[in-house]
Formats: sequence, C-alpha cells, structure tokens
Amino acid sequence: MTLLSQSERPAETVASNGPRQPVAVIQDLQVAFRSRQGRVQALRSVSLEIAAGEVIAVVGESGSGKSVLGQSILGLVARTPGAEISGSVRIAGVDMLAADDRARRAVQRHLLGAVFQDPLTSLNPTTKIGAQLTERGIRRARALANLGDAGVPSAASRAGQFPHELSGGLRQRVAIAMALGAAPAEPHKAVPTDVPVYGLGNATGTPQLIVADEPTTALDVSVQAQIVLLFDRLRREHGCAVLFVTHDLGVAASIADRIVVLYAGRICEVGPAADILGGPTHWYTKALLAARISVDTPAGAPILAIPGAPPNPTAPPPGCPFAPRCPNAQDDCRATMPDLTPRPASDGAGMASCFHPQPLRPVADRVADAAAHRIIKSPSPRDGAPFPIDEEMALELRQVSKRFVVAGGRLGLGGQDVYAVADVSLAIPSGGSLALVGESGCGKTTTLRIACGLIRPDAGEVRWGTRAGRPQLVFQDAGSSLTPWMTIGALLDEQFGRRGIPRRERRDASLALLERVGLDARAAGAKARNLSGGQRQRAAIARALASEPRLLICDEPVSALDASLAIRVLELLQALRSELGVALLTVTHDLGVARRIAEDLAVMYRGEIVEQGPVEAVFARPAHPYTEGLLAAIPTTEPGRLSPKLAGEPPSPIGRVTGCAFQPRCPFAQARCLIDKPLLRELGGGRRCACHFAEQVDGFPGLRN
Amino acid sequence: MIRLIAGRLAALIGILLALTLVVFIIDTTVPTDPVAANLGAGASQTLIKATRHALGYDQPVYVQYFRFLERILHGDLGTSLRTHNAITADLAQFAPATIELSLVAAIWIFVLSLALGLWSASGRRGAETIRVVMVSFASAPTFFLGIVFVLALYSWLGLLPASGRTTAGVATGFVLISDFFTGKFGGYMDGLRHVLMPSLVIALGPSVAIGRVLRGALLDAMRQDHVRTARSKGISEWAVLLRHALRNALTPVLSMAGLQLGLVLTGVIVVETVFAWPGLGLYTSAALVNSDFPAVIGVTLVLGAIYVIINAAVDVLQVVADPRLKQAR
Repeated sequence: MTLLSQSERPAETVASNGPRQPVAVIQDLQVAFRSRQGRVQALRSVSLEIAAGEVIAVVGESGSGKSVLGQSILGLVARTPGAEISGSVRIAGVDMLAADDRARRAVQRHLLGAVFQDPLTSLNPTTKIGAQLTERGIRRARALANLGDAGVPSAASRAGQFPHELSGGLRQRVAIAMALGAAPAEPHKAVPTDVPVYGLGNATGTPQLIVADEPTTALDVSVQAQIVLLFDRLRREHGCAVLFVTHDLGVAASIADRIVVLYAGRICEVGPAADILGGPTHWYTKALLAARISVDTPAGAPILAIPGAPPNPTAPPPGCPFAPRCPNAQDDCRATMPDLTPRPASDGAGMASCFHPQPLRPVADRVADAAAHRIIKSPSPRDGAPFPIDEEMALELRQVSKRFVVAGGRLGLGGQDVYAVADVSLAIPSGGSLALVGESGCGKTTTLRIACGLIRPDAGEVRWGTRAGRPQLVFQDAGSSLTPWMTIGALLDEQFGRRGIPRRERRDASLALLERVGLDARAAGAKARNLSGGQRQRAAIARALASEPRLLICDEPVSALDASLAIRVLELLQALRSELGVALLTVTHDLGVARRIAEDLAVMYRGEIVEQGPVEAVFARPAHPYTEGLLAAIPTTEPGRLSPKLAGEPPSPIGRVTGCAFQPRCPFAQARCLIDKPLLRELGGGRRCACHFAEQVDGFPGLRN
Repeated sequence: MIRLIAGRLAALIGILLALTLVVFIIDTTVPTDPVAANLGAGASQTLIKATRHALGYDQPVYVQYFRFLERILHGDLGTSLRTHNAITADLAQFAPATIELSLVAAIWIFVLSLALGLWSASGRRGAETIRVVMVSFASAPTFFLGIVFVLALYSWLGLLPASGRTTAGVATGFVLISDFFTGKFGGYMDGLRHVLMPSLVIALGPSVAIGRVLRGALLDAMRQDHVRTARSKGISEWAVLLRHALRNALTPVLSMAGLQLGLVLTGVIVVETVFAWPGLGLYTSAALVNSDFPAVIGVTLVLGAIYVIINAAVDVLQVVADPRLKQAR
C-alpha cells in the first residue's frame, strides 16, 4: 500500500536485442467499409512489422483507423459485413485476412491475446470468470496463475464470480489474464494437412502478441497507471509483444518501444518512442504533441490547436491527408500521397510520410500566423483580469449533503446508505470558474446535479445569484443530449420561446448565437446526427446559452472529444466567460482540463471535498496526498516514464468509515488517520484541505520524481 | 436466489388468492340460482331454503368466500351441473389429455422457436424464406390453421389422423407416457400420430413470436463487445452463438415465452374442439354451452394457476440466465 516511486526499467530494453523474427507482418493493408454514406476508407496502404517482445503503440484520433488496425491483426475484420480488404496480415505464416476459418482460429487460439477498452462490456456478463478464462482450452490451474499474475488477489474465489461483481480495475485485470491464457501447443493432436498451423503455440501457452485496444481509456487515472505498469511487467516476464492502441500520447510514451502515428488511415510516422516524441517529423505528430492538454501545461501557456477537421473518410484527398490542415503544405502535398521514407537524421530513427519535414518559414512566423495555425492561449486572470468577476456569487453550495439508499442485506431488509455527497460547500463568483475533479464514484456528478437543481439535497442550501436564471447544463455526450429529430435551429427556437422572444426575432438570435459558438448558419438546419462531435458540443453549448444563464455547468465537456477538438471547445468556454461573464462549474476527471479551464480547483474523494484552492497553487504544491497521487498518476509524454502508482482503487461509497476515507490508500497514513477524521480546514491563500498532515505532505520524500 | 424464489412464491400466493376472489365474485353474481337450478323446477320454497342453508348460501359473503377457499384447499371445486361428477374428478379425467397435448406443443415451441431464432440470426441461406413461411402460418387464426392442416394432411394426403387421441377412440390418462413406459410401441406411435397435428397448430403462433424475439435479441447480443472478445479467442462461430450470445439473449425471450404459454392454454380450447381432442378444452366448451358454471370456474382456477406458476418460473429463470438481475431486484 505505498505509492511506488518510478519503476525502474530493466537495463536491457526488450526490442533492442538485434534482429528477431517478427511475430506479425502487415503488408499494404487496405480496409474499407461499405456503408450508406459511401465507402469509408479506414486503412490505406499500411505496412508494419511487429517484432517479438516489443511494445508498439498505435496513436491517432478517432477515425484514424487505429482500432481497425488492431482488429485486422486479431482477424476480426475479415468477417465484418461490408468490409473490403486487400493486403495481408501474416502471423506464423497465416494470413489473418484471407486464411480459412480453421487456420485463422488456430492462430487466435494459440498465438494472440486481446484486451479491449471497456472491461465491463467486453467480458461476457452471464458467464463466470473462470469459464471465460479457460475457454481457449487451458487448464484451470493455469488460468488461476494468470489471474494472480495480472494482479487479481484471491484468484480462485474470483474465478467463481461474474464480471459485474468486480471493480473496473479488477475487470480489466481479468481481461488481461484472459489474453495471457492462449492455448498451449497440441503436438499430440492430429491436424489435417490443409491447415498449415501444425504445432502452433508453445508449451506454456503464452501468446506471442497481445492487441490492447484503448485498454486504459475507460479507467480512472490511478487505475490507468496501474494497468500500464502491469502491461510493462507482463511483457517483460512473458516476453510477448504488445500492440497498444491509444489516443493518449502520454500513455503511449510511458510504455511503448515504438510508436506508430496514424492519420486518416495512413501511417504518418513510425519509429522508436523516444525519437518520435523527442523529434517529431510529420506535421501531424507535431500538431498532436502541441495540442495535447497536459497537466504540465500551465493555464496561460499557449497551445497550438490543429485547424480544420480530419478529411471525410468516404472521399479522402488525393495527396497527403493532413495537407488541408498542415501549416507547411505545398502544392505537391495536395497532389500526391507521400510514401514512408526514413526520417531526417536530426530527428532520430524511424520513417515518416512527409515531403517537407523542414519548416519552409521560421516557426515564429507560423505561430504568429493566426489564420494558418491558431494559437489558443487561455485567458487567465493573472494576465490582467479579463474576467468580469464581481462580488456576487453565481453559485453557492452551503454544507450540502445527499444520501441514497441501496438495496442490500437479507430479505430486502437493512438497505445500505450511500453518502454520495457529504457536507460540501462551494462558491463560484459571477464570471468565475471552478473545476471539480475526482475519480468515479467520488460524488462529483451528484454535486453537479444538486448545483443545477436536478436533485434536492437532504441537507444544506443551494443558492444561485440574484440576477441569475437557472444554470444551464452541458453534457459529456452532446450527441445524446440533443433531441435527435429536432434541428439545432428548432432547439434554440424552443429556448428563445421560453424567454418570450418574439418569433420573428428568434432566427436572427439563433444565427448570432451559432456564430458565437463557432458554427455557421447551416448548423441551424442540421440535426445532431449530421454534425461532428466537436460541432455537436458547440451546438449543445449554444442551446445552453440561449436562455442567457449566469452559470454554465459542464459535465465532462470534452472527454468524448479528440485532443485537437477538446482544446478548441475549452477555448470557446473561456471566451464565453470573458465576453458574457458566464460563470463555469466544470466536473471532470481530467486534471489537465481542469487546469486549462478553471482558476479554482476542488478535489473530491468519497463524497467530500478533500482539497480546494487556486488551481496553479494546488498544482504547484498539492496539500492532500490524494491530490498528489492523482497528479503523479497522469502520464506525460516523457518517454519511458512510468507513472508512480496510486495504490488501490476508488472506494465504494457505501456505508460510513471512521477516520480518514483516503487512509487505506494513503502512503503517509498514521495511527491518527485511522480514528480521527480530518476536517476540511483553511490553510491560507484561499486553500482548504482535509488532511491532518497537509503542511507536511510536500516534505515526504519519494513522492515526486 | 432463495430470497428471490421466496419472494416469487409469496407473490404467487397473492395472485392466486386474487384469482379465487375474482372467480368467487363471478360465481356469486351469476344470475341463475345454482340451488334452484340444481333442485329442479318443481322444488318447494322450503326445500330450496333448507338446501341454501345446508350449502351455506345464506351466510354473509365473506364467510361464503372463506368457505369457498376452504373447499378449494381441500380439493373440492364443487359438482358439475352437467356431468353430476365432482369437478376434481372431471378435471382428473380430462386434464391428462390437455397436459399431454400442451407438453408436446411446448416441445414444438422450444424446437421451432430455437431453430427459427438461431437460423435467422446466423444469417444462413434460406433463413429469410423460413421466416416468411412461418410468419404467414402464424398470422392465420388457430381454428383456420387447424382446418387447413386437417384438409391437407388428412383429407388430401391421408398422412395423419384428424381427430381424437387414439384410433381406438377411448383413451384416458397419459397415453404417450404410459405406452412408452409399458413398451406398447404400436400404441405409442398411434398416439404420436394423433398428437402431431393439433400440437403443431397450437405451437406455430407462439414459436414464431418467440423465434422473432430470439432473433432480435441474438442479433443484439452478437453486436456486443464481449462477442468480439469471444471471437478474438478463436472459437467457432457456432460456439460464439450458443455459448456467448444465446444466454445473453434469453431475458426478453423468456418474458415472451411466459406470455405465449398463456396463449397456448387458451389456444388449446379452440384446437381441442377442431380436433375432437378429449381434454379440458372440449370439457370447457361443453360446460360453457350448458351454463355449467362450477365446471367453468374449476377450469379457470386450474388454468389460471398454471399460467401464474409458469410466469413466476420465468421470473426465476431470467435471474438464472442473467446473474446481473439478482442485484437489480
């Protein structure tokens, strides 16, 4: 139960042991899907070799084809209806795209393992874990050993449980244990000669390659760090190669030997992780790195957003797919598709598909060139207070509590209490911005619902400013929060109607509002499904603004968006603050987003606020060990830096605990923490913290590297 | 699980009590005076009054209801006005024929709906044709379907007998079961040939209804993430369908099956009439025509109890199929 300091890597790196037989060879892979919208080109001419034992991260935004690549290797794409496939994916001599079912399945059984994003849905909910683990024909003892290896305690009893009875982190460990349990070789088994897979696999049944498709995305940040560490350990102990598909450059940096950057189904760049991150050649890689919202990015620091949007996958441009968004694009980029060529020696090893890796104009010019490359610099009060903050509060929560009762106990008696929110006090001044962060189940969403009046607290008081109307909500998934059969214009109309704006003025008002959020007039006639993810979120913000609220409450406003879109939505929210004086309450699990959007940060743990204060001050010197652990668990793009882990998982909110709720996971817990519940107390400088040792936390050694 | 079953049993008793109450109300509000009807037109008022007193009809209603309940609990459902037998004795005589018919129909439903659902969900060739044929069969009313079957398989092709349970004509008890266990092969085959057509007519509608729900639920299940995980393990497509998709598709299918089995019970009455099947259906139609209310009430209670028990069993089976429901309840 300690915060482990940064894990040391073994002296020899696995992939650098000279040439090895590749476990998978992908040649000129093209995958397209026929759909009603046309032929969607998911992968275009992708070639890649995966060496034995190497960890290769495939990085890209949604629609880049990264998941399709993973599924092609797993042999899952061949059966998809409407798929048009050419090229080959060879594993042990078997083409996973063209081989007959028996050969493909033999490779899947003996050589491959798969881990998917959401461990709840990717495990069979109606089958016991043990039965799912042994399905590839491995012995129960081995399945249990794999469970233990994947960090599942008391494996034997877990095997008798169903997936829904486990926590999120444990479920993903089960999925990993399942991937580890490939069928051992069956030399005694007579194999028909038409299947060229005789004697596949090895005696222990260790897979040669595990394809992990966003395996940490659905997990809390502390659990994410643990799972990344687990992958790193397993590949060293078992020697299997890992193809790690992720949208998060930070996760890729922490685990990968090599990185592949995909854009619109094409490989932009591939090479050793340190080289790619240290010296990106392709302009897309550069843009991706620059657009990353990281915890390390201070609020005022500029972020270069990528202008435009990815190309339409049904009609990609003839040349480089990134050319329309590239600040360095020339005529040849737009006309012909660049092939992968060795990267400039100054950037390091690897290949990139870019005609003009050298900037044709000095960087300073480009940065200044707002039309080509927008700089997003979040306005911050420290830059001369552009926010019209006044004394009046836009939102005040005074000692708000909410308790739910969950069924439980024998014969339906004795339901248990869930203290979703306990004694929470918060205040946001008019025009101010506060971010509420915490892991799943910490009560942040309940607090949000109380703040906007959707649920009534059991105790305490909620006050909105006197001038304020009801606060408006912006949700994570704008696609499902906008009525699907109404046009955006009609949705805005409805809001204006409520405010009593005359019918003839409403159209102009909606167009003005749409323009304000960065959408053009066409959006008024569109329905939610016709808009892209970023556009939908803008439309949702427009709808929220239509009733001129003084407070906008955002629930994970950008977590469904790609990095380059997310930063622009955050920029929009900031701009709305400075222009309209709207206050923001943002609930997020992402500390990077919190740092970007808020000047005040509140950290929740098990229904209570454990730390609160000015965001930069908290980042610079967290006072609560939980905040410290959260910050440390976030991956950065520093290659090979495995995040120290915050032990344990987010706690169950059921029942009451004595002492400090964080104490079971706390590396500094003392005897006092077991019995004496720390209260939220003032630390000075506008900071509050609920830890007995708040003043000493920074002094504990081995926490920060 | 024990808690769940206990809960279902408690609910079951409640529903059955409600059923007896409804039946009792119908019984007492029937315009004909059962005592007068029983004694005949020439009975004196004194005799009627004495008999009413002896049978307890002059007691307050709630007392009558508790006596009614008490009698039911002792297995006394009264006497049939038509056959003048105890209704329990009549039921014991006619129920086996109906139970046998319903069981064979249930087997049909199980096989046909599973075949229809699995075949059409697996996307094999011919699935669409089968579906169209079965849907058109199922959309015809039961009596019409019965007549068509009789015309086709009996009148024209002469393949199967059109009426009764056996060629000999007289049959009581469980023909198929007793012949099977006593080794009367000829009698068994004869019984089987007789039961084939009526049971199929009963089964077609529910099979299509359940099969369609199964198809939809299977297609839904096959799109789920865990099916992708199963495929990535290299197990065969049939194993994916049977081991991973089927169990996850069962919840709506079981609900539908519970409802459809109720329809089977009503379908039996029509089909037994068409095929002259000497079961509860035939008994009930005769009772209805002759205003034999005690008999109708007896049958209603029995069928109602069966229906309620089946649906309680469905509730329990759903939780067995999907352990997540255990927490939701």
